[in-house]
Amino acid sequence: MASQLSFTGFAWKNLWRRRLRTLLTLGGITMGIAAFVALVGFSRAFEHEWMRMYESSGIDIAVVQTNFLNSTLDQSLGAKISSVPEVAQAVPMIFNLMDLTPDVNALAYGWLANSYELDSLTLLSGHRFRDGQPEVLLGDLLASNLNKKTGDILSIQGKDFTVVGVFRGGTALEDGAVILPLDQMQIIASMQGKVTAFHVQVRPAPSGEAQDRYIKKVSTKIEAVMPGIRAVPAAERAANNQIVSLAHSVAWGTSSIALLIGIIGIANTMAMSVFERTREIGILRALGWKGRHVILLILTEAAGLGVAGGFLGIIVGWGALRLLSTLPQTASVVSASLSPYHLLESFLIAIASGLAAGAWPAWRDAHLSPVEALRYE
Amino acid sequence: MSSPMLETRKLAKIYDDGRVEALRGVDVTIEAGEYVAITGPSGSGKSTLLHLLGGLDTPTRGEVLFQGSELGATIDLDQYRSRHVGFIFQAFHLLPTLCAVENVQVAMLALNQRANHRAERAASLLEEMGLKERMRHYPNELSAGERQRVAIARALANEPSILLADEPTGNLDSVNSAHIMSILQGIRERRGMTLVIVTHENEIANSAPRHIRIRDGRVEA
Repeated sequence: MASQLSFTGFAWKNLWRRRLRTLLTLGGITMGIAAFVALVGFSRAFEHEWMRMYESSGIDIAVVQTNFLNSTLDQSLGAKISSVPEVAQAVPMIFNLMDLTPDVNALAYGWLANSYELDSLTLLSGHRFRDGQPEVLLGDLLASNLNKKTGDILSIQGKDFTVVGVFRGGTALEDGAVILPLDQMQIIASMQGKVTAFHVQVRPAPSGEAQDRYIKKVSTKIEAVMPGIRAVPAAERAANNQIVSLAHSVAWGTSSIALLIGIIGIANTMAMSVFERTREIGILRALGWKGRHVILLILTEAAGLGVAGGFLGIIVGWGALRLLSTLPQTASVVSASLSPYHLLESFLIAIASGLAAGAWPAWRDAHLSPVEALRYE
Repeated sequence: MSSPMLETRKLAKIYDDGRVEALRGVDVTIEAGEYVAITGPSGSGKSTLLHLLGGLDTPTRGEVLFQGSELGATIDLDQYRSRHVGFIFQAFHLLPTLCAVENVQVAMLALNQRANHRAERAASLLEEMGLKERMRHYPNELSAGERQRVAIARALANEPSILLADEPTGNLDSVNSAHIMSILQGIRERRGMTLVIVTHENEIANSAPRHIRIRDGRVEA
């Protein structure tokens, strides 16, 4: 039986003809997609972890300063928030990112010893800290990265703290965190009398009223009694959190540049490949191939590069994300989970990149007169 | 009375913004099943005439009619080339990444034929050309004569009614030239095809019952 030539088989043979160039191009688009998968995946996982943390700790509303990345509010505002009748509790908190050692970064929270947020954590050893004491709780991931256990001393900002307990939270953000008494955090962060936010729990919604609608209504009421602050429902806070927004912007910006480089690589390969084959395209046109057949052939080649680059990019990106999730510097904020939506999105971006890069060479050759193409040297 | 297979009316082709007048009002008629040789000195316009007859190019003025219908107006040029015309070139023009049997199939890819039908037809045509054992060989593994036979098989792939050959023996030695010409004549007789050959070789021209002599873009009387 003679070998059968299919359209895709023909496209593959054309790509394989210049193997080194094809492989280098593939490397370019792979790195672009890998950067997209890893960076955007990271920022989305980060947002997801925030969402989970809010959900698990029972926060309904976060009250923050309106415009600044590092929100700072007077602790005394807590009484005003609590004066809103629908507010059950409003607990002050400080949130920051800290270098605990040159190699280990951690999210640091300052909470009151009686904060309801502590209720969502499971103590694996030790007990809760006390207000006014140099005591800390460590997430189990952080404890393991620092090689600390209950009873050990941890130095933060030159001050010694006793590790009074190790806990497991519901998210990597908590497992990789250190939690201090609020007053101790205010001292080491030079924020006496100040907090980052108030985390509010609202009273149960009146019967017949949906919970999210009710939370929004309470948020509006809080904002009304305290002009200049924002009361954000927890679900929105996870997505609109300034740190998450910054992570999204950096991720999209960086991966867009990487993708652009990948697209330019494919465009260069397709343009060179098509120019080199101008006479061959003329032969195909002489054999009766329509312009759209030529376009289809070139776009099949370009999309093939996109598909292969997408596939490899997803594997490399996922590997990078997994690696980040195990490094002590990043483990507290990265989870290696990738959503099917993100994978599909990455794959479609890879194919679209290939098609966009192949569009111009395809259009050019489809519009060449056959006799002109056959004369091409 | 039926229309001729091919007919040109006051056909003119001008290149390079008017600097080169390749054809200057050519009127020719070629009947179905005819074997015609187009001859003339280099640069006379004979290849240009063949390209226009085959729908590879469009005239500056005048028209080409296929069975009475004007090419490019009532007949789509791509469709005309894929279904009604087979081309054979002096330089063979095989695709280097494809083996012989794939080179023949590539002509059929533009038409919606089943893959196994394409492969069987390509194999059968190559067998007819005496290349049964060379089907999986790539162009650079074939001799010049073998390459031209693959090109002939490719030209026949879509069962055209017209075979247009531009100096088909120009790159061949005398033995291979004679072989290729006997193949082309055999095909024409067996299939009743119209065969138009551009040549500057007298021996080949003399084998055709009819000559069209071109000089300075005009048909010589």
